[in-house]
Amino acid sequence: MRKAKVHNLKEQLCEAGMGVTLTQGAVEALLKGSEVNNPVLQLLNIRQISSASGPSRFRLMMSDGRHSLSSFLLATQLNNLPEENLLVQHCVCMLKKTTTNTLSDGRQVVVVVDMEILQSAEQTGGKIGNPIPYNSDGKLSSPQKVSSSTSEQTSSSSAALPGPSHRNNTSFSASRGAGRNLTATALMKTSPMKTSPMKTSPMKTSPMKASPMKTSPMKTSPMKASPMKASPMKAAGSSLVSSAKVIPIASLNPYQSKWTIRARVTNKSNVRNWSNSRGEGKLFSFEIVDESGEIKITAFNNEVDKFFSLVEQGKVYYISKATLKVANKQYTTLKNDYEMTLNAHSSIVPCDDCQGIPTVHCDFVPIGELENWDKDAIIDVIGVCKSAEDVSRITTKSSREVSKRALNLIDTTGKEVTITLWGEEAEKFDGSGQPVVAIKGARLSDFGGRSLSALFSSTIMVNPDIPEAFRLRAWYDKEGHAVDSQSLTETRSTSSGSKMNWKTLSDIKDENMGHGEKAEYFSCVATVVFTRKENSLYQACPSADCNKKVIDQQNGLYRCEKCNREYPNFKYRLLLSANLADFGDNQWVTCFQETAEVLLGHSAKTLGQLREMDEAAFDKVFQKANFTTHVFKNRVKLETYNDESRVKVTVLEVLPVDHREYSRRLLRNIHKLAS
Amino acid sequence: MAGILDVPKPRINYSMLSQHINRAVCFVGRVGKVHPTGKTFTVTDGEGKTVTIELNDPLEEELSGIVEVIGMVSSRGEIMATTYNILREDKGISFDLELYNEALKVIHDFPQHYPFVVAASG
Repeated sequence: MRKAKVHNLKEQLCEAGMGVTLTQGAVEALLKGSEVNNPVLQLLNIRQISSASGPSRFRLMMSDGRHSLSSFLLATQLNNLPEENLLVQHCVCMLKKTTTNTLSDGRQVVVVVDMEILQSAEQTGGKIGNPIPYNSDGKLSSPQKVSSSTSEQTSSSSAALPGPSHRNNTSFSASRGAGRNLTATALMKTSPMKTSPMKTSPMKTSPMKASPMKTSPMKTSPMKASPMKASPMKAAGSSLVSSAKVIPIASLNPYQSKWTIRARVTNKSNVRNWSNSRGEGKLFSFEIVDESGEIKITAFNNEVDKFFSLVEQGKVYYISKATLKVANKQYTTLKNDYEMTLNAHSSIVPCDDCQGIPTVHCDFVPIGELENWDKDAIIDVIGVCKSAEDVSRITTKSSREVSKRALNLIDTTGKEVTITLWGEEAEKFDGSGQPVVAIKGARLSDFGGRSLSALFSSTIMVNPDIPEAFRLRAWYDKEGHAVDSQSLTETRSTSSGSKMNWKTLSDIKDENMGHGEKAEYFSCVATVVFTRKENSLYQACPSADCNKKVIDQQNGLYRCEKCNREYPNFKYRLLLSANLADFGDNQWVTCFQETAEVLLGHSAKTLGQLREMDEAAFDKVFQKANFTTHVFKNRVKLETYNDESRVKVTVLEVLPVDHREYSRRLLRNIHKLAS
Repeated sequence: MAGILDVPKPRINYSMLSQHINRAVCFVGRVGKVHPTGKTFTVTDGEGKTVTIELNDPLEEELSGIVEVIGMVSSRGEIMATTYNILREDKGISFDLELYNEALKVIHDFPQHYPFVVAASG
C-alpha cells in the first residue's frame, strides 16, 4: 500500500506537478565519468565530516530516481548550502558542475563543484521514487558492516567512500555520528542521521593506524602520527587525495595551504648530517616535476626518517601539506620562486596514475654553445660519452679522499666537452658502449676553456628514456662517431688559448716567428737529435723559491747573490740545450728544469749524483734521449744580446705524441690541401 | 719468400684488390674466422670488407686481433700469404683500423707523393 502511494507520488513529482524531473541514469553516468549535462538529483542524505583543521566536508547521498549513491562530496566552496540549511535532505538540486575522481583502489567519488537548489525539501515532500543504491561492485550494500569493528568499518566493502570520514573522526565520531560508516546500507536502514552504531564506534581509538588499510597505502604512512591530521585533503591517501583537486606545481605559493600536487621525483639526494653551534640534525632533499614545473622539497630530522625510504627517484607521488617558502637560490637551481619543506603534517602517497607527468625536466644546452655561457652557471647537458677516463682518487684540500672521473661528451654540434663526476657517481659510471649521458644541474667552469663538473645536486642519467637521447644515439651511430670534434676542454693548458698552434720547424724561419714585439707560441712534433750534456747541470740556491746559480766559495759554503745569503748546500738544476729536427729543418732549443727532466727521464738531483759517481751512466742518459719523438710546446722570441739578434726557442712543455690525434690532424690537413 | 721481400708491397684494402691481381701486397685487417684446417682464414679491413687468406702451411698458433699479411693477390681475389704479422693488442697503443684505412686512401689518392719504389741502395 505504502509503496504504491510512494510510487504515485514519485510519478506525480517526476512527471507533472512540481516541475522537477530527476535525471534517471545520471548517477550511473556520473560514476562512470560520462558526460551528464546538469543532472537533476535528489539529496537523500547529507553528512558532515569534520576535521581538526580546515573547513568541514559534506558527504551527500544523491538519487536520480533510479539509483542512489553516497559517493558524492560537496566542494568546500558550497559549504554554505548545508550550513544555511539550503541543502537539506530531500531537496532537489541540479548539479551544474562535477568532477569524478577515481581512487587508487578503483572506487569513484563525485565531487560537486557547483549546484543549484531547484526545489526545497518541503516542496518535494519526501524521497522521490524508490531508488536502489548503485552497486557497481557488489560491495556497497553489505549491511553487516554497519556496526562492525573499526577496522572493518574502514574497509572498502562497507563504505562507498572510505577514508576521510574515518581518519578525521576519531574524536568527532561520537558527537557527529558522521564518519566512517557512511554506508549506503547504514543510510538506508536508519533514518538519516541517526547512525547510532556510529556513536559507539570505536573510532575514537584511532584505529586508523593499525587498520588493514585496504584502500590506501598512505594510511600506514606518516599519517599515523596523528589521527587528527586528517583534513580531507590528506586523509585517506587515495580517496581524499584524489577527490581533492590536484593543482599544478607552478601555482603553489605560501598563501595557500590546501593543496595537493602530483609529481615525479627527478632527483633525490642522500641524507646529510650537520653539526654546528646551534645543534645538529640531518636532512635530505629531492626535486619533483609535473607538467607545469618543478620544485625542491627538503625534509629535516623526523621527516627524514619518515620519508627517506618512501621517496624514490623516478616515481610519482601525491604530496600535500608541506610548508612553502621563498627559495634559497644558493642551494637550488630549479626554476621556482618557492621551495618546500616537509613537516609533521605532510603527506606523500605513491600514485599509480602517472600519465602526463614528464619523466624529467631538462633544458639541454648544446655543447657548442657552452662558450656563450658564463662560468659557474648551472646547466643541463646531454651528449654521447665518447670516452671516459678511469676512476682516479685525489685528496682534497680538506684532506679528504675522493674519487673522480672525467668523461668526454660530444653532441650534434660536433663539439666536445669534458665533464667530471665525483664520488659514488664516478665509481659506478659505466662508460662502455659509448652511452648517451645526460646531466641535469652541472656546473660550467672555465677550467681548460670550458668544462663541466657534477655537483652533489646534479642528476646523472645514462641512456635516458627521452627523445633527445634517441636522437643523439641515431646521429652518433650514423655520423657522429667519425666527426673530428673539437674539445672545449683543453686537457693540457695552452698559453695560446684553446687551440694549439701547430707548426713545423721550417715554419719558424719561413714565417719569421718571434720577430714581432711579443713572443709567439707554437706546438710541433719533432725528434731529438742532440742533447748537450756539458753544462747541462748547474748548482742553484737551495731555498725554495730561488733558482739563481750559486757561487762556490770553496770553503764548503755557496753564496746566493739574490738571497744575499750563504748556504752549506745547493740543489742541482737542469738547463738543457738540445737540437730538434723534423722532415724540414732543425732547431736549437732550451729546456729548463721541468721539460729537461721529462726529456731525459731523470730528475736533476739524480743526474747530479750520476755525474759525480758514474760518468758512463750519466752519458748514457743523454744518448737515450736521442731520436725520441715528442710533442713540444714552445715559446719563440727574437732576442738581442750585445748587438746580436737571435731567435730563441724555449720549450715550455714536452708531451708524448698522441698518434691517433696526430694522424687525424694530418689527414685533415691533407684533405684541406687537396680540396 | 725471398722474391717477395725485394718487391714493393703496397698496402691495400678490399676495394683495391682488383687492381693488384697477381701482385705482392700488404693487407692489414682484423682476423675473422679461421678454417679448421688452419690453412685459410678471413680478415676484415677498416671498411668492413672481408678477404680470404690462404697459407701454404697450416697455422701453428692462435690467430686473433689485427694481423698484417704479405702475399700475392690471386685472380679470385684471395691473398696467398707468404708471411703474416700479428699486431699485438696487449702492447703499445691499440691499432685504429678505421684510421689506417683513411691513411690508405690518401696513399692511393696521391701516388705522386707516396711512390711505391724500392730505394736504390749504394
